[in-house]
Amino acid sequence: MGQFAGLLLDSIVSGVLVGGFYAAMAVGISIAFGMLGISNIAHPALILLGSFIAYVLNSQFGWDPILVGVLATVPFYFLGTLLYSAYEIAFERRGTQLIRGLAFFFGLLFITEVGLQLVFGVDYRLVETPYIGPSYNIGPVSLPVRMLIPFLASVLLLIGLQVFFMRTFTGRAIMAVAQDKFALQLMGAAPVRVKRIAFGLSTATAAMAGAFLIILQPVEPSMGRDYIGRIFAICVLGGIGSLPGTFVAAVIVGVAESITATFYGPSWSPAIAFGFLLIALVVRPAGLFGRA
Amino acid sequence: MASSIRVDNIYAGYGSVRVLHNVSLNVAPRETVTLLGTNGNGKSTLIKTIMGVVRPTSGRIVATIDGKDYDLIGKETEEIIDLGVALVPEGRRLFPRLTVEENLLLGAYRPTARARLKDNMAYCYEAFPRLAERRSQLAGTMSGGEQQMLALGRALMSAPSILIVDEPSVGLAPLFVSRTIDMIAQLKERYHLTVLMAEQNFTQAMRIADKGYVIVHGEIAFRGDSPEEMQRSDLIRQHYLGM
Repeated sequence: MGQFAGLLLDSIVSGVLVGGFYAAMAVGISIAFGMLGISNIAHPALILLGSFIAYVLNSQFGWDPILVGVLATVPFYFLGTLLYSAYEIAFERRGTQLIRGLAFFFGLLFITEVGLQLVFGVDYRLVETPYIGPSYNIGPVSLPVRMLIPFLASVLLLIGLQVFFMRTFTGRAIMAVAQDKFALQLMGAAPVRVKRIAFGLSTATAAMAGAFLIILQPVEPSMGRDYIGRIFAICVLGGIGSLPGTFVAAVIVGVAESITATFYGPSWSPAIAFGFLLIALVVRPAGLFGRA
Repeated sequence: MASSIRVDNIYAGYGSVRVLHNVSLNVAPRETVTLLGTNGNGKSTLIKTIMGVVRPTSGRIVATIDGKDYDLIGKETEEIIDLGVALVPEGRRLFPRLTVEENLLLGAYRPTARARLKDNMAYCYEAFPRLAERRSQLAGTMSGGEQQMLALGRALMSAPSILIVDEPSVGLAPLFVSRTIDMIAQLKERYHLTVLMAEQNFTQAMRIADKGYVIVHGEIAFRGDSPEEMQRSDLIRQHYLGM
């Protein structure tokens, strides 16, 4: 195999792995923004909160970050339900969520970020686990275990959520709630309760995505901002509210970025992600897997 | 067991606009009662009041379901549905970006209905073969007639004992109107339902109704306890039959 082909293959594989991780970051937005119509731009900050929880428990007690991510979904779920209740009472109930709700989540973003900065400072933090160093090599392709594990865990997370949405009554009610609130009441479901559960789930995914993030790379509190545009782009590209779409779009963006970074330099990567988004919106406005 | 609905002396409206004046209405067990009235006379407001969407200023609404009385006033819509009342709303209100099957499955959301999901689903597909053909199609992409069938099917999935239908004929071609009306009668027989149906199409509604009320300017202007009595009414002859 030529050097070029090897390099290309390696960058595709690492793009797929990173893409899987992007999907875990984006899935929370896909639920909140795509299914509930809530523009939770604080989500990346909550992901960083998840990273720092993993950091603390790892550095203090040596806990595995993935384990911490899974355990932290429980408090994050309840945090999400509380946030939604506040949001619902203050804005949604009065119909003022469009601008004020956005301001609310902006505020939450800054408070979370500054809170983390006050506690941890602005230095980069990292976790230590046996699987951060090693890497499998298959020909020219390297499979770093620190990327492989978040990828596999992300796939499991998305499959689990997809099964929940397709197979359970609550899951289907979540998919329906933004389409017609009154019709959902006619099915015997309370829309506010359904949305609270969904937002709790959306927030819970931040705990896991945060753990994946700190496995992949060292983190500092304001890092979430770099991801806001990218994960919204992934959600729209995949098709609003579609989890399979979110996954595929995340992988496309991951691969595109990785190839660009390898051959043209990393500074072009964001342009490629948004370029894909623009093309997709022209060719297929509902997104790849959108229900138009 | 039998279910019924009683509306007693209801006054209701929107803000300072009063729409319903002293409306009383009774749907006895296993009866099909039609509520007739042209646009803007309060049919939909009465249905919204029964369903807990509009809060009345005074009066009582009591549903008797399987022999037990429930005061509906003050209950949320979803609580009323949970008792076993189903509404096929005006405009159908399907979930346009969910498939036919997903719409039907959501119909069975209430716990009592979940237990009978398989049977009811099988019956829906048997009664509406079109829905079976289109089960993985998005509801929003179907024709008006098909959407009305889905709306009926979805209401049935909740295994109701009382079925309320708000203007099933609106926006449908004449052939579909009579099919829809037939279907309501058929479903009523199959599930021993008590049916309240608001309609403007007198001729179609009277084909299946046991009893009827005419609502004019928010008041019950006429009550006919049998189809014959309805046919003989001067009010109906003038307004609905053009005689």
